[in-house]
Amino acid sequence: MEDDVSNPFRRMSMRTRKIAPKMAAALASSDNRTQAAIARLEALENDYTGMETVEAVDDDEASLDDDDDVYIQKKQKGTKRKTRQAKALENARKAPRNFLELLHEANLEALPPHVPSYLRAAVGPPSSTCRRHFCTVCGFTSNYTCAKCGMRFCSIRCQKIHDDTRCLKFVA
Amino acid sequence: MSSVVVLDNGGGLIKAGYGGERDPSSIIPNCLYRPLSSKKFLHPTPTTEEDLTSAAVRRPIDRGYLINPDLQRDIWNHLFSNLLHINPSNSSLLLTEPLFSLPSIERATDELVFEDFGFNSLFISDPPKLVHLYEASRRPYGLVSQAQCSLVVDCGFSFTHAAPVFQNFTLNYGVKRIDLGGKALTNFLKELVSYRSVSVMDESFIMDDVKEKLCFVSLDVARDLKIARRRGNDNFFRCTYVLPDGVTHTKGFVKDPDEAKKHLTVDDGAYLETRKDMDRTEIMDRKKVDLTKNEFDLTNERFLVPEMIFHPADLGMNQAGLAECIVRAVNSCHPLLHPLLYQSIILTGGSTLFPRFAERLEMELRPLVPDDYQVKITTQEDPILGTWRGGSLLASSPDFEAMCVTKAEYEELGSARCRRRFFH
Repeated sequence: MEDDVSNPFRRMSMRTRKIAPKMAAALASSDNRTQAAIARLEALENDYTGMETVEAVDDDEASLDDDDDVYIQKKQKGTKRKTRQAKALENARKAPRNFLELLHEANLEALPPHVPSYLRAAVGPPSSTCRRHFCTVCGFTSNYTCAKCGMRFCSIRCQKIHDDTRCLKFVA
Repeated sequence: MSSVVVLDNGGGLIKAGYGGERDPSSIIPNCLYRPLSSKKFLHPTPTTEEDLTSAAVRRPIDRGYLINPDLQRDIWNHLFSNLLHINPSNSSLLLTEPLFSLPSIERATDELVFEDFGFNSLFISDPPKLVHLYEASRRPYGLVSQAQCSLVVDCGFSFTHAAPVFQNFTLNYGVKRIDLGGKALTNFLKELVSYRSVSVMDESFIMDDVKEKLCFVSLDVARDLKIARRRGNDNFFRCTYVLPDGVTHTKGFVKDPDEAKKHLTVDDGAYLETRKDMDRTEIMDRKKVDLTKNEFDLTNERFLVPEMIFHPADLGMNQAGLAECIVRAVNSCHPLLHPLLYQSIILTGGSTLFPRFAERLEMELRPLVPDDYQVKITTQEDPILGTWRGGSLLASSPDFEAMCVTKAEYEELGSARCRRRFFH
């Protein structure tokens, strides 16, 4: 995958295509395949958090099933009227941020180069650049790459499945 | 005399207990979960009999670091009051924190310990040091304790570290990290199974179970891929897992436990004999997976998932594998330490529990290490508890109290100054 990503002169179709908004965002970058790969790796750290209803209900009046003390606090504060913007700001402040945001905030790049830090402890790229390729459909060794999206497949059968289901969906 | 609480606050499991004991008194998942039947997020109990199908999870720890102190407070509160039954104001706390924590996270942790819970005193330690301590004490005349140095390979829930430890201190300039751990592996397995058979993207707990029961490390990937391609009984790797149906059983299980163990016979050469009648079984005896019965087959996924730790590049990750990670960690230390470090590699962490993990690591490591150095990999009897036991030992040592930061000191000096005492 990486060899065709690094090549800036890769021929791209000039045709305009109808694409979903999420795809449009992915395609807007110069090398969308790397972006997709990074997004996918980030997804591997995700948890299944269920439907995101809990957060939305949080500042509703109807949230009686929340912890009681929270409810009481809200009642006391109720005298002062809050604008929506203030509420949104407060929620943003209270909301847990993920580690990458905290990392960015810590500004570790500014440390002098001899200080070990989170960023410098990463193991770094592998010494050998040759990669094994596995079929994204069945998992066996693959010899072919999808010309459209760069994912791997091993046979015509797998190619068909790939084309039907996840070609250009950007989940390797 | 106040009691010491030892708390190994992992991303996956919290191991907590009293200093000086051999085993932690409670091990709970470090998360809140919400089963389908509930509207609220609940605390997991050690022996949960609940239906965890499609349960939503919230974790206070992201990529190994504490990002949600509020949630962590909730979980600790439950832990201290309902499970450990301690009173923080007259106990000390020995807490583990991952290497290279950020100042903002350290501050949040200190606030949590001293201001929210009001512990008497606190000692922060990094896990590799504790693992080293435990191994050194187990074999007082072994190399690890005589040379006072070891290389701790901790492959846990959030990430994998190779950390050189020398004279009971982790050499932080030598630590190397791979951003892959048990959580990423489970999610990878989820992704594969969801694409190939049944959608299990919501089933974190079930897939954890599948991973623990069925995955193993392959010693020869090319050969095993060939075997996994076979049909019928010749395929030693095919194994069926039955998902819970919510009526008769609320836990998933491996359909045929003998089938799951078959892969162990592969290395004995048994696979060669059955090769002859392969053509015969080629005739369509392929068992169709019945989607209505809520089960799925695993074949090559069983070893391709743990494979990612050895070759993260296969996943599209621009990071070296575990063997190379170890070599780089060793190379960043003083040359005189190299032979010692290679001879005292300690494997710890839950993700090293995959069968044959150590063998594979040795196979990969040997060609990368100079000929005249020995490679010796020690596995722990219980890799999940290794860190906690080290902590328990440290907590029972006589000078533990002197190493702690007390609440008064924290109030006087603040978080950043107190942290300097722990040297990391």
